[in-house]
Amino acid sequence: MILLIILLIPFLTGSFLFLFRNNSSIRFVALAASVVNLLLTLLLAFSASASNFAINWINFMGVQFALGYDGISLIMLILTNLLFPFILLAGFNRDQKNVSQLNFLILSTQSALIGVFLAQNAFLFYVFWELALIPVYFILLIWGGDGRRSITLKFFIYTLTGSLFLLFGIIYLYHLTPGNHSTDFAIFRQLHIPESNQIWLFWILFIAFAIKMPVFPFHTWQPSTYTMAPTQGVMILAGVMTKMGIYGALRFLFPIVPLGVLYWQNTIIILSLIGVVYASTIAFRQSNLKKLVAYSSMAHISLMVAAMFVQNQFALQGLLFQVISHGVTIVALFYLVLIIKEKTGTQEFQQMGGLKLKAPQMSIIFLIVVLGSIALPLTAGFVGELLMITGLFRQSAWFAFIGGTTMILGAIYMLYAYQRVMLGEEKSTHEKITDLKSLDYLILVPLIAIILVLGIYPQPIFNLVEESVRSMQNLLSPIATVVSAIVH
Amino acid sequence: MIPHMNLALLVPALPLLGFLITGLGYKRFRNNQAGIIASSAVGLSFLISLSSLFVLRNSGQDSATLTLFNWISVGKMNIPFAFLIDHLSLTMMLIITGVGTLIHIYSIGYMHADNRVNSFFAQMNLFTFSMLLLVMGANYLILFIGWEGVGLCSYLLIGFWFENPAFNYAARKAFVMNRIGDLGFILGIILLFFTFNSVSFSEVFAQASSFQVGAPVITLITMLLLVGAVGKSAQIPLFTWLPDAMAGPTPVSALIHAATMVTAGIYMIARSSVLYILAPTTLTLITIIGLATALLGAIIGLKQNDIKKVLAYSTVSQLGYMFIALGVGAFSTAVFHVTTHAFFKALLFLGAGSIIHAMGGEQDIRKMGGLRTKMPVTYWTFLAATLAISGIPPFSGFFSKDLILSKAFEHNFILYILALGGALLTSFYMFRLLYLVFFGEQRLAGSHPHESPKVMTIPLIILAILSVFGGFLNVPTLFGGDSNFGVFLQKAMTSFSGEELSHTTEISLILISSLLIGLVILFAYRTFVTKVLVPKADGEPMSFFGKFITNKFYIDEFYATIFEKPFRFLSGFLYQKIETTILNPAIEGIGVATLKLGELVRKIQRGNMSFYFFAMVAGILLFIIFILTI
Repeated sequence: MILLIILLIPFLTGSFLFLFRNNSSIRFVALAASVVNLLLTLLLAFSASASNFAINWINFMGVQFALGYDGISLIMLILTNLLFPFILLAGFNRDQKNVSQLNFLILSTQSALIGVFLAQNAFLFYVFWELALIPVYFILLIWGGDGRRSITLKFFIYTLTGSLFLLFGIIYLYHLTPGNHSTDFAIFRQLHIPESNQIWLFWILFIAFAIKMPVFPFHTWQPSTYTMAPTQGVMILAGVMTKMGIYGALRFLFPIVPLGVLYWQNTIIILSLIGVVYASTIAFRQSNLKKLVAYSSMAHISLMVAAMFVQNQFALQGLLFQVISHGVTIVALFYLVLIIKEKTGTQEFQQMGGLKLKAPQMSIIFLIVVLGSIALPLTAGFVGELLMITGLFRQSAWFAFIGGTTMILGAIYMLYAYQRVMLGEEKSTHEKITDLKSLDYLILVPLIAIILVLGIYPQPIFNLVEESVRSMQNLLSPIATVVSAIVH
Repeated sequence: MIPHMNLALLVPALPLLGFLITGLGYKRFRNNQAGIIASSAVGLSFLISLSSLFVLRNSGQDSATLTLFNWISVGKMNIPFAFLIDHLSLTMMLIITGVGTLIHIYSIGYMHADNRVNSFFAQMNLFTFSMLLLVMGANYLILFIGWEGVGLCSYLLIGFWFENPAFNYAARKAFVMNRIGDLGFILGIILLFFTFNSVSFSEVFAQASSFQVGAPVITLITMLLLVGAVGKSAQIPLFTWLPDAMAGPTPVSALIHAATMVTAGIYMIARSSVLYILAPTTLTLITIIGLATALLGAIIGLKQNDIKKVLAYSTVSQLGYMFIALGVGAFSTAVFHVTTHAFFKALLFLGAGSIIHAMGGEQDIRKMGGLRTKMPVTYWTFLAATLAISGIPPFSGFFSKDLILSKAFEHNFILYILALGGALLTSFYMFRLLYLVFFGEQRLAGSHPHESPKVMTIPLIILAILSVFGGFLNVPTLFGGDSNFGVFLQKAMTSFSGEELSHTTEISLILISSLLIGLVILFAYRTFVTKVLVPKADGEPMSFFGKFITNKFYIDEFYATIFEKPFRFLSGFLYQKIETTILNPAIEGIGVATLKLGELVRKIQRGNMSFYFFAMVAGILLFIIFILTI
């Protein structure tokens, strides 16, 4: 039952926001709901007893409304419910139009995302997957920046196309199930589809996730969308929605089409590693801070995808750790981009510089987040990347080397960005700039605290996911052994 | 478990505390308060390091491991947050906190007029903490935390005067070049983990004996670790960041870019001596890199006119000597040279700081001169350090450098000749510096140099005493000593037990090198004092070789051409050509084709936002009711 409550709180609260007239009470109610949800999630994560929820839903299709979770879902759930209070806080005291609509849409997205991570069958997963797209579409379209119409359209068509493939894949799987048919993940897992079919089915299922994450070369919607999106929108997209892709891949590909995964494994790893180097190299070229951060996010996600496909314990635990770490870091980064924009009136490096003189506190916080992003030891980013690179190394030392170039390239573009914004001579346009306000501390201090605490003491997260990672490996390893026995 | 050993945990904890206090309260401290707090933190750490040494000696054991908690535990990977206290780490701890305290105190005087002095001390304390983590870590990953931490502090302190874009560029260059090395280092650690199922020193070294000399995997591991050491210790090809790092305040150059951080690579290889002894190929490579760097640094040093640049290239060169020692398997000798070098090079930099302070920020030695009488304390201490670095007996540098030369002689005669040649160049450029700065007439009109305050000169005097007598830590048997220091370190490291040189050979080597060095100093005196030859001003015509050396062999330009420019080009090419011109339109083309289809259903979409919302909420509510009623 607690799962259903967690699922519904944001959406139901959001639906009642229309009753309030005062913008600050709307925001406060929305925030309160998300904080309650976070507390419930933590309660769930650290309670010993498992919880699930299921009722019959569409009987003739054999579809249940079934919610449940394992360690992987839990990580995603924690990430979502951890980030949304900060995403909502980012709207406080800011001049926005249609506050109740905006908060409603944000909370709806949260509910849909929770649904994606808790769904126990593919049908329900798909419903929530699509539902999550709708409010985000409106957030981008109404509150977005220049060129929002065409960019949002591109984003929408892009993701919808991926979804159609996924829907086709789900229907195909549904027809393969025996007896009265079912869309339960548990039943999908036992299908044992012949390898020749898994090879094409892999792509049918993967496209949607590849677009969402995104994997090179399915990423071209992302930089422009991130740059145009309102801050809260981009926080949702980069912080949580990219992880929908990772989660979907973990749910669908590895358990259901393991032979397809083995067949395409190296292809995807190589594409992802190209993505790491490609996005990092392009990031250096950007003249716009927000776009640079967008490409940096793509580089980091690409490394996570590569780690996901090597499928060993180090890589998987590192990946799931990095899910939290990347989410927290990228949300903090985009918030900093927002306040820099508010203070300087620009995102172009040309017009920035010397902010540290006027806002030393902000520069320190920005630096810590930058260091988290470039994986300095004792930040969460290091722990995640260390394990992922270790996992890649086990597959191939070259993979680890190319993935590891993110250490160098990340330092090149992030420190470049830091210098252009914070260091150097003060710009004359900066005269009236003040340092951080208390709201900014309220958002940024907890986020950097998480970055540092997880970097120093990461073990609780590992313990949370260890069992799920092991069972996922157990799913794959017998098959891998069989395959390698046949091959050799 | 040794009683009272936990006290050693305070050694890194105190500078961390100092960092937090000065860092979080940087707005509140006035005058010298932050400097006093920071200096006391490091000073106390020194006293505790010293007492830890006695605790360890009295316990009769060789080492102690202090475990705080389990940092990362995933599958077979178990990495405790643990410290290892043995003779090697204690040596480094004493150098870091001892020399560090003096430099902190000196900085109170040097930085007193800077309006960001509080954050300066916060960063210095953070550096000290990271450096202690580096040398105290009980496994490669804790070492790596410190390793990257000192890199960060180095970045921050090089760019301390952040208004200047050139300084910021130098800071980034240092960080990125170090990161290149760090990638090799971390891959080495990962391979080490897969080879030994552990990254902790004790377990790795215990298992290493099961590998044969020259085992490929060990060679690969040691090579990868070496990449990290080459970056951090500024060896060819990753050395060009160090001279640029002189952009930082001079005490920073003394502490980070001379006495401590840059020797981290030497520490790491000495720490891994058990592995390196199994990899003769890597050792040969280390010798070659060290020799090449020692000579290159010394040759470039001949033509530099910025006082800090001369010292920077001298540091590059001396680090090369330490690499030679490592390469010939004389690990404890390398650490001995780290120690004496920390004394005399810190002294040289602090002396240079005192001079720059007195000259109102001027760093060009062509504009100095005649400072001997105006700044007597600085002069005498600087002279002591110059004698030490030149290897004149019985100053500290003599004992360590001579030991390196004799080990080189044991190893290979050509190596010895080249290393000796480098030592002669060292004496020449150092005495050139000394004579130009302190002798002759004052060349900068209108300046009134004065001796620095006591808070700066007292650290100079203490370091001078150490530079003069520091060598007696390790008096060889030749002079009736018993190589205390080497024996002390043997408990923490292994080494080649090559043939001992006969005393006659040793004495003749010493006589030859001392004689030659004496001649070089005389030559420098005749050139720069008797003939009063001042190096040419910038822009005057020079011989081909002179120009080549003055421009540092055009290595910076070379790297810019083969790395920086292609990277910039690639970055632009990928963005403007691939991303914008090819990928985007290709995908959009597919989109447009789909859109044409979409026009058929366009009629339903009227663009009424509230209708959409209404439909959405109604739909979802119905959906929930639907679920709950079934």
